[in-house]
Amino acid sequence: MENPEDPPRFLTAAEAGLTGCRTCGAVNPGGAQTCYSCRSALTPPSAYSLQRVWAWLAAGLIAYVPANIYPMLRTTTFGRASENTLVGGIAELFSHGSYGVAFIVFFASIVIPVAKFLAIGYLAVSVRRPATLGSHDRLVLYEVVEFIGRWSMIDVFVVAILTALVQLDFAAAVTPGIAAVSFALSVAFTMLAAQSFDPRLIWNAEKREYE
Amino acid sequence: MSTPEPATMKVSAQRPSPWRNLSLVWLVPLAALAVSLGVAWQAYSSRGVLIRITFENASGVVANETAVRYRDVAIGQVEELGFTEDLSKVTVWARIDKKIAPYLDQDAAFWVVRPEVSTRGISGLSTVLSGVYIEGTWDQEPGVAATRFEGADGPPLVQPGRDGRRITLRTPSGSMISEGAPVLFRGVEVGRLEQPRLTSSGDSVVVDAFIDAPHDRRINSATRFWDTSGFSVSFGASGLSLDVDSIASLVAGGIEFDTVFDGGKPVGKDTVFDIHEDEAAARRTAFARSQSEGVSVAVAFDESVAGLASGAAVRLGGVKVGEVSTLNAAIQNQSDEPEVRLIAKLLLQPSLMGLPPGAGETEVLDFLEQAVEGGLRARLAAAGLLSSELIVELVTLDEAAPARFDRSAEPFPELPSAPSDLPDFTATAEGAMERISELPVEELMAQAIATLASIEDLASADSTREVPAAAVALLEDTRALVAAPGTRALPAELNAAVAELRAILTEVQQGNAVANLSAALEQGSQAAASFAAASDELPALVSDFRALAAKANSLEAEELIRSASRLMNSADALIGTEEARDLPPALTGALDEVRRTLEALRQGGLVDNANATMASARGAADAVAAAAEGLPALSARLERLVAQSEALIASYGARSSFNSETLDALREVKTAARAVSQLARKIERDPNSLLFGK
Repeated sequence: MENPEDPPRFLTAAEAGLTGCRTCGAVNPGGAQTCYSCRSALTPPSAYSLQRVWAWLAAGLIAYVPANIYPMLRTTTFGRASENTLVGGIAELFSHGSYGVAFIVFFASIVIPVAKFLAIGYLAVSVRRPATLGSHDRLVLYEVVEFIGRWSMIDVFVVAILTALVQLDFAAAVTPGIAAVSFALSVAFTMLAAQSFDPRLIWNAEKREYE
Repeated sequence: MSTPEPATMKVSAQRPSPWRNLSLVWLVPLAALAVSLGVAWQAYSSRGVLIRITFENASGVVANETAVRYRDVAIGQVEELGFTEDLSKVTVWARIDKKIAPYLDQDAAFWVVRPEVSTRGISGLSTVLSGVYIEGTWDQEPGVAATRFEGADGPPLVQPGRDGRRITLRTPSGSMISEGAPVLFRGVEVGRLEQPRLTSSGDSVVVDAFIDAPHDRRINSATRFWDTSGFSVSFGASGLSLDVDSIASLVAGGIEFDTVFDGGKPVGKDTVFDIHEDEAAARRTAFARSQSEGVSVAVAFDESVAGLASGAAVRLGGVKVGEVSTLNAAIQNQSDEPEVRLIAKLLLQPSLMGLPPGAGETEVLDFLEQAVEGGLRARLAAAGLLSSELIVELVTLDEAAPARFDRSAEPFPELPSAPSDLPDFTATAEGAMERISELPVEELMAQAIATLASIEDLASADSTREVPAAAVALLEDTRALVAAPGTRALPAELNAAVAELRAILTEVQQGNAVANLSAALEQGSQAAASFAAASDELPALVSDFRALAAKANSLEAEELIRSASRLMNSADALIGTEEARDLPPALTGALDEVRRTLEALRQGGLVDNANATMASARGAADAVAAAAEGLPALSARLERLVAQSEALIASYGARSSFNSETLDALREVKTAARAVSQLARKIERDPNSLLFGK
């Protein structure tokens, strides 16, 4: 007799004596070291993998600081050089009335990275602590973070394209600043952090909580 | 069938040391952190120094954009703009490269570079596109770093740290000098003037000048500066002269300097030089040198010193020995009434007074004391004939009122003065003007006009016009006389006569007709004399001509014409007289006579006679001896004849062929006479030779 109030009872792969491959999704017998399908190493879900998440996340955060402090772009027009940081550029765009562009840039370079940091941090914490969100919601969150990660590079692409296109010597020239590199690193580190996170831990935690 | 039994997995809680299982991935954030911190630290440590510069205005300066440059290399950037507390100035905060900051001591100067067009050229063109920037300059020595600076309006004329010397110049008027004007030495720019400024009292303008090394070594106490700006036009005996130094100094003004005498001493830092009006004025001051070298004495004058000015010369025996340094009035209470006396302070140069080198004040005063005993007094004298300026003369007067050199007078030793003997120039000038006005100018003019009128009348008179025609007629008459056949025949006749004479003389050499010869010569002499007499009329004609000319010169026109007519009449008469016409025939006749005589001599059997005399050799010898006695007399007569003939020929005029022929003939006569004389002497010595032909 199933009580809807009761937490759902489910069987984890480990309980079933199986190990899922994280690369190709094939189900391997428990104790197997390599996936029979894709030959990648099979790791049991381990709380220690969280270390890597935290480490990458920290690296991403660290890299995000200079990305905001240092200028992103250095524009030279008729001998006048101007440097723009991320926030400065957004403020300038906004003051010039380009609200749409300002919003996109703001969203891509401020909101998304910060949201990712928060999301990954929350996921990592929720493995150990009782979570306010359900396991399914957290899995969705994880997938969104994974998906959106690659789009965070849009800023870096803009800088790279501008730098390549606007090289008109004296009249106008654009060169990337330190912030561009920092920002790219930060995005990369965040993506690695997201990848390091093992979503199976969500279910393990769920299980532990239930028991 | 057995259902697969799930394997029981022992999941034991792992409790190893958290450090043992620490993931290597942690190295990444650590590295990132290290790099970030490193970059941050480096950024912080290399962060420039914030300085504050205040400007009158900061047009074109933009925060976070305007660069600060040194020698055109960016060394910092403006970070912030603001105002001073009272809003009177703009404050610019700029961050300067840390390495440069220590050099920014109080000497540093900053200015905003903008496009500028001035007399010195166009500058800052590059800022038209790139925007203004702040340029700074400072010396090359790190000093006490400062962070507050006063911005300048423009680049300093002298880069800090540049070798050279800054001097201060003083001028009564700053109208001809401007900032940046060149300082020239022999026409070469060696420095520049800075901003002229008024002295606090406002009575003169001072301007700093910077003289570049090594030319600053030329500055010493003997250096004088003068104004070369603008151009000068002078008009004098040599004509109009326009003097322009250089276009730059014409526009911006300029100062030239030179060392005007030798032995200048190095000057201190605070020495102020005067800018003289021109080079001549500057060189005149060479005399003054330094005030300390002179010896000051005072002279009190009882008369007006109007015209005496500070700087007037003091002359001793005509030589400048000093100058008047100051003039002032002093009240002396000698008697009951206060008396105003005018005191001139003289600055005497010992070296110019003939005192030995190194003579000091004591020597000069000793000399003056002694000289005053001998009558030396100071008195006023005119500087020039027409000048109203006065100079002070030190003269020795014989009958000077007794006075003594007051050595103890205050503030300077006092030299006694003597009343001047200045001529009252005004009176003299008035007298001169009166005399000029008394001149009978009107009468003179009237007479001159009358004279000119009469000259005009004379020139237009018909009789004056006839004068040339009469003169032409006279000349034609003269030419006719000369061209007359008789006159032309005269030289030929003379030639013939001379030839005859020569023949006769040849015969004389062969024979013995001394007596006859003598007689013939007598006749020749007479003929010549009569010819000379006839010729004497010609000089008279010439003298008449002269008289005519003299009379013509004496402007007595009527008389001139009359006497010219008279002269022409008399010349006509002379030419028309039988006497003049007979002159050539008379000469011919005389010569004919000579010739006839000589022919007679030849035909008269001279040789036969000689042969006849041979019969009595003795007697002949005696006769010859007797004749030889008369030879000297003959020679003398011959000489006389020659002289007479020469005179005749000279009166006859130029070297015609006749003249030379005559001279030849006479020379032959002379030779013949000498030969006769020799013959006579030989016969005298050896009478036998006459007989034997040897």
